[in-house]
Amino acid sequence: MRHRTRWQEFWHTFRKNKLALAGLFFLVFFFLFAIAGVLLTYGKAPFFNPETVRLVDKLKPPLSRPTKEVIPEKDLPAFGVYLLGTDDLGRDIFARMLQGAVVSLSVGFVAVGTSVVIGMILGGIAGYFGKMKIIRNFSVDALITKLIDIMLCFPAFFLILTLIAILPGNIWIIMVVIGITGWTGTARFVRAEFLSLREQDFVMAAEALGLPRRRIIVRHMMPNAIAPVLVSATIGIPGAILTESALSFLGFGVPPPYATWGNILASGREFIFDAPWILFSPGIAILLTVLSFNLFGEGLRDALNPKLRRR
Amino acid sequence: MFSFLRRSFFQKIVTLFFISIISFLIIHLAPGTPTEVSPLNPKFTKEDVERLRRALDLDKPLHIQYLLFYKKLFTGELKSYKDNRPVLKKIGERFLNSLPLFIVGTVLTWFLAFPLGIKASLKRGTSFDRSVTFFSYFLIALPSFFLAYLLIIFVVKKFNVPVIGLMTFGREDVSLLYRINDRIWHLVLPSVLGATGGIAILSRYVRAQMLEIINQDYVRTAKAKGLPDDIVYYKHALRNALLPFATMFGLILPGLIGGSVIVEYIFAWPGMGRLGYEAILARDYPVIISLNFIAAVLTLIGTFISDLLYMIVDPRIRL
Repeated sequence: MRHRTRWQEFWHTFRKNKLALAGLFFLVFFFLFAIAGVLLTYGKAPFFNPETVRLVDKLKPPLSRPTKEVIPEKDLPAFGVYLLGTDDLGRDIFARMLQGAVVSLSVGFVAVGTSVVIGMILGGIAGYFGKMKIIRNFSVDALITKLIDIMLCFPAFFLILTLIAILPGNIWIIMVVIGITGWTGTARFVRAEFLSLREQDFVMAAEALGLPRRRIIVRHMMPNAIAPVLVSATIGIPGAILTESALSFLGFGVPPPYATWGNILASGREFIFDAPWILFSPGIAILLTVLSFNLFGEGLRDALNPKLRRR
Repeated sequence: MFSFLRRSFFQKIVTLFFISIISFLIIHLAPGTPTEVSPLNPKFTKEDVERLRRALDLDKPLHIQYLLFYKKLFTGELKSYKDNRPVLKKIGERFLNSLPLFIVGTVLTWFLAFPLGIKASLKRGTSFDRSVTFFSYFLIALPSFFLAYLLIIFVVKKFNVPVIGLMTFGREDVSLLYRINDRIWHLVLPSVLGATGGIAILSRYVRAQMLEIINQDYVRTAKAKGLPDDIVYYKHALRNALLPFATMFGLILPGLIGGSVIVEYIFAWPGMGRLGYEAILARDYPVIISLNFIAAVLTLIGTFISDLLYMIVDPRIRL
């Protein structure tokens, strides 16, 4: 019998899921697009300038040529064509899409990173130290479970809006706030994993050997609980991207001169009949990104979950 | 039976207490103690701080502030900064506006998601199942604000009817039939939008739940004794598959506020979500805090109702 490493085993299962594979390929493309976006739109005279205003060329449809007679040489779009058209100020939408990609991407990762860290810490404490009592009948576990219950009572999107309205606005705060409202899923996963791991022999052996608690938790238990966390994080990223684009759309996102997919879409709001392309480019980009993250996440879950694998 | 109910009720009361504390404390995140204005936030002026201090009694000790806040809220003494009307009354009006949207949306969601999910699970692996799966992923990923404009473009171009707002402005004197027709057109798009995400997610759950049940022994027994498929699936399996959805009842109530912000914003629908958006734009803190608190209480009521429902539909829990 041929022996496969865990990684090969995983890849073997994952590859069979064509949708997840397609998701992965699009994600790689999206990452490259975001990196290219940073490189090509950054600096004083970038290759694609998202901020050049050309009022003569406003609301031009995709693939149209600029009016060369009026626009100065340095303001012409790259390759002499508006790939995705222009908005109401004559700014190149393709350049703006390039600039906005990195925001969507980093929001997804920072927000989910925040929620995973909070979730792992709280879930880990609830699972490992759960039986410790605070007051008579009220254990640590009960406290954290109660905290999750309370968190779940607040409507997430409105709570995010509230916090962003109260706290000083900048992109990092927005990312962290999105993360703070989303940790409950991870906490519950980690808690459940820890509760079952605690009873297993290898943890008892580690305890019997007198290993320090920190080492048991970090080196022995965490790695075993990481798979469901990874999956819930992958599925959380598209949610965070959607939330950020919705915030930008409502005007609570990154401040105006800087483009994000959400505020490009919002800027097309008044021109839905005259210039629908302003709406379509960011809308389809968000749709594809979220869709591929979700498909990839599902594929990851099926490939990492040995119980489902046998079916 | 009653001990379960009592325990659940007691738990909810404790949660309610914490929720009331947290909703109240959110305001203390605002930059600037009553005596200083944070230079970090240009939108927060000295007058704002002064008003906040008076409205929320920020000069009293914390526990007194807390008691006074809820006393003022319920006696109608807590007033909106914007138009100086009692917060609770304002929210009540908007609640009634949101209600038709919410009811039509919920009915659409549940009446479409269940047949889709059940059918997909019974035809597992067929092209129907796969297309339902892909379609629901597609709907989950489609941002509601993008879909909204797609629908507006489509409906306005195709049927030539106005869709923004509660009803067509300036057409109050026309015949009743026309007005009803007008109201319905205005109701359709926002409720369809409110329902799409729900349909996609719920049908996935229904499919998964149904798959789990039809693989169980008692379903095989029913099949083996020669019962027709329809009876096996719709009488034996479905009843058990539906159990967990009683608990989902609690999850739909908070949609009244959180889920409706974007839809009501786009369609200029004067409901609770829009009220929240306006309050946040105007930094109308009494309204913002109260909305958060009320939304949380609605969720809590929802979960209590689902506990009750669960007790009725699942006899095992009464023990």
